[in-house]
Amino acid sequence: MPFLHHGSYRIRYELDGPADAPAYVLVNGLTQYSELWAGYRDALLARSFRVATFDLLGQGASSKPALFINQDDQVLALHRLIGELGDGPIFLSGISFGGMIALRYAIEHGERLSGLVPMSCFAELTPQLLLIGNALRTGLILGGTGYLQDLLLPMNLSDQWLQPLLGQFESVKRQGWLVNDLYALQNLMDSFLDFQPLTPRLSSIAVPTMILNGELDFLTPRSLHETLRLEIPDSALVIIPRAYHAFTLEKGALAADLLARFAEDVLAGSWRGNKAIWIAPEEPGGELTAFPADYDHLRAIPVRRTVT
Amino acid sequence: MTGFLGPLDAQGRVLPQQQTRVSAFLISIHGALARQFAFTLPLKLETAWQTETNAQFYREAEIVSLLVRATAWVPDFALGYMAMIWETAWIPTPIEGIDDRSLAQAVHLATLAHAVHAGIRPAALLPVEASAADPFATALRRIEFESSRLLQAQILFLRGPDLVPFRDAVSGALERRHRDVRQLWHDTLASAGIAFANNAEP
Repeated sequence: MPFLHHGSYRIRYELDGPADAPAYVLVNGLTQYSELWAGYRDALLARSFRVATFDLLGQGASSKPALFINQDDQVLALHRLIGELGDGPIFLSGISFGGMIALRYAIEHGERLSGLVPMSCFAELTPQLLLIGNALRTGLILGGTGYLQDLLLPMNLSDQWLQPLLGQFESVKRQGWLVNDLYALQNLMDSFLDFQPLTPRLSSIAVPTMILNGELDFLTPRSLHETLRLEIPDSALVIIPRAYHAFTLEKGALAADLLARFAEDVLAGSWRGNKAIWIAPEEPGGELTAFPADYDHLRAIPVRRTVT
Repeated sequence: MTGFLGPLDAQGRVLPQQQTRVSAFLISIHGALARQFAFTLPLKLETAWQTETNAQFYREAEIVSLLVRATAWVPDFALGYMAMIWETAWIPTPIEGIDDRSLAQAVHLATLAHAVHAGIRPAALLPVEASAADPFATALRRIEFESSRLLQAQILFLRGPDLVPFRDAVSGALERRHRDVRQLWHDTLASAGIAFANNAEP
């Protein structure tokens, strides 16, 4: 199991695929660990990509700083990992917390990227997100990692995904509970105490950017992704039908297919962001559909867009 | 060797030899914390934060009491030597960069308690087959749960305004404490036939 070193910390990573292939780097969400990308690794390798996954500081087998985790260190660790990948095209994608780290990387080191895919992501802490985050942190402190998982799983996954697992819910939670330590998760959450909104800096992201947002994501709702779409010049927003915040778990095959298609389009020179709004297909390989131009994509009911 | 306690007996209970070795370590460290909190606890509380010291003392004593009663003890002749190593490790040592002795003592206690409450996860040793009726297994779960609550006081103190001028010294002492406690814990578990994955941090 390879490790990178960042100061006194070590970063556990995994790198698969041919060294001369375009690479995808996938960044975990807050309570995740790199093995959760296994399906993406297989799918992207089959599409001739190289794939790098890793545990952020405070996660899995990477170092877990005892008292503080600085988000700057997460970006620097990601920079170290990308530095290992040579000079070929690099596509960067991250989910939720990892999406925010990916955004920061694109702002600070965008010249190294060929494309960016923030998923279930945010550039600022709205009152709702701040208060939900605070409540989740309190839940972690008072109830432990298992209670945090109890809150996150039904918030972020659909009934269809949860229903067959209800009888084995503890086993679903177990690996995440084992590899993630409470103090480290708390440090990751507390790394937002001095968080500065990224919105004013988003316009500096010059690379092609595909923003993925679950249709039913209420942890990071459409409005947060809209900020990214409006501010990032060469971006498009793709709405994943019937999906919640953790669609990367629930609809992995579809998300991996969208990642591959985006990178293939960019490499072929056919990607056009145009700040467009698309609806993803229900299944991998299906056609994307343009969101009806005269309807408001920020509403949950069919309301015509206000002409400005 | 695996990363979990076991093999279990026919009733899904942890074998007494492993119970004895694990409990002896936990009693040593939580007992040391109880003693050291007791020494810092005045008869009459004079400041608000001392209420937390009172809580920490009684929770640590409760953990010791719980383990004494929940463990299926068996003779273990290696324990004398191991306990001597453990007890030596919990003795307060000077904190480089903090000359004030009372502050250094407080930092020592907080870093030791942080390392124990954050870094020692006894419930994570239990395999899924462990019996819910086994008092030892229940005790391990309870200790891990209580530890995450107790930890909050250490986090508040170590991040607090009084220690801002000593942040590097505190961070260094805390990381060392984590490493040392983790090493002793891993050694103890290895001696009981429980291996950590090769990716475990040294």
